[in-house]
Amino acid sequence: MEGKVVFTVFRHDPSAGERPRFVRYEVPYRSGMTVLDGLLYIKERIDHTLAIRYSCRMGICGSCGMKVNGLPRLACFTQVSELGRSIKVEPLPNHPLVRDLVTDFTAFFSKHRAVKPWLIRKDAEEQENPTRQYLQSDQELERYIQFSYCISCGLCYSACPVVTALPEFPGPQALAWLYRFYADSRDQGGRERLRLVDDATGIWRCHFAGSCSQVCPKGVDPALAIQLLRRAVLRG
Amino acid sequence: MLFPSRYSLERWSYTLQRITGVVVTLYFVLHVIETGNFVGGPSVWYVPPYDYARAYYEEIREFLHNPVFDVGLVIIGWMVAFHAVNGLRLTLAHFGITLGRPSRVEPEAPPRSFSPFQRAIFWISIALAVFAVVYSLNALMGVLAA
Ligand code: SF4
Ligand code: FES
Repeated sequence: MEGKVVFTVFRHDPSAGERPRFVRYEVPYRSGMTVLDGLLYIKERIDHTLAIRYSCRMGICGSCGMKVNGLPRLACFTQVSELGRSIKVEPLPNHPLVRDLVTDFTAFFSKHRAVKPWLIRKDAEEQENPTRQYLQSDQELERYIQFSYCISCGLCYSACPVVTALPEFPGPQALAWLYRFYADSRDQGGRERLRLVDDATGIWRCHFAGSCSQVCPKGVDPALAIQLLRRAVLRG
Repeated sequence: MLFPSRYSLERWSYTLQRITGVVVTLYFVLHVIETGNFVGGPSVWYVPPYDYARAYYEEIREFLHNPVFDVGLVIIGWMVAFHAVNGLRLTLAHFGITLGRPSRVEPEAPPRSFSPFQRAIFWISIALAVFAVVYSLNALMGVLAA
């Protein structure tokens, strides 16, 4: 693939009172180019005012999520060659807009915090002054390891139609984290954890649209975690 | 985002399940009202020889006997069958039945919640809904006999 790639980029600064618009930029293609590379080219060479958020450029930090050609994706993890010559970039839906492609994750992270994403243990003294390791078998590890790969990029949250309809819904990321700890043999939170989301705006609101699992760049499968949470409540 | 063209089958299931749920509920309300009208309410049974009841019955029957209502019923048949069977699929998922088990992540493997069993039930719900359409077309318009 040679030549130019056309980026159509969403531009809007809510504080400036201007109307949202899409701006076209032509970027020379080079082999191995990611969507983030293209946006950084625009920022460096064409328009310095473009706002983007990124950090690691290697799919680890989870800060470069945006909607690329209609689907939430990590800009640094998406090859231009997968998409063709015309690329439309928008901010992530379901997160409030800060500017251009940057969205506000405050609500997202407070929902994350609300599910207590840490090991709950009753042996407080052992926690302060550890004397041993917590051993785990392979089978015990496999019950939750998949859900611990989450990098909190918020793609699943922006793909979820239930979050769109009901902003109080914790969202796939927070629920996957909750299950990750619930299923961990070292955790002693037990049913106290389930009670956090066993209510009118919690796990029962999931309609299993599966979009979270489809867009997750880490194979976390939050939809599976939510079904397993419901199973845990239903089976008592 | 009514037509989730970029999303997977599960998202289509979500969209269809919601639309059919709302439409079937509305239909149910109208159906109760319509059936209430059809019998003319309790008052028509008070005066023998029930001429009023008979006249009322005929009037409503005439009103309902037209192709628009028949097509509506065929669509409702599709929706009820789809919603019921797909609803069973979702109920099974609530109990964790028919889903894959969590495990280590395999690159490029589809999510385990999109299990072949789950997808098979989705397609069965579509197939049964199509059967319901054929059945109701035949019952209302005799398409198979024609
Ligand atoms: S579950 Fe996946 S998509 Fe959702 S925040 Fe975690 S890594 Fe991102
Ligand atoms: S920049 Fe870190 S995940 Fe994309």
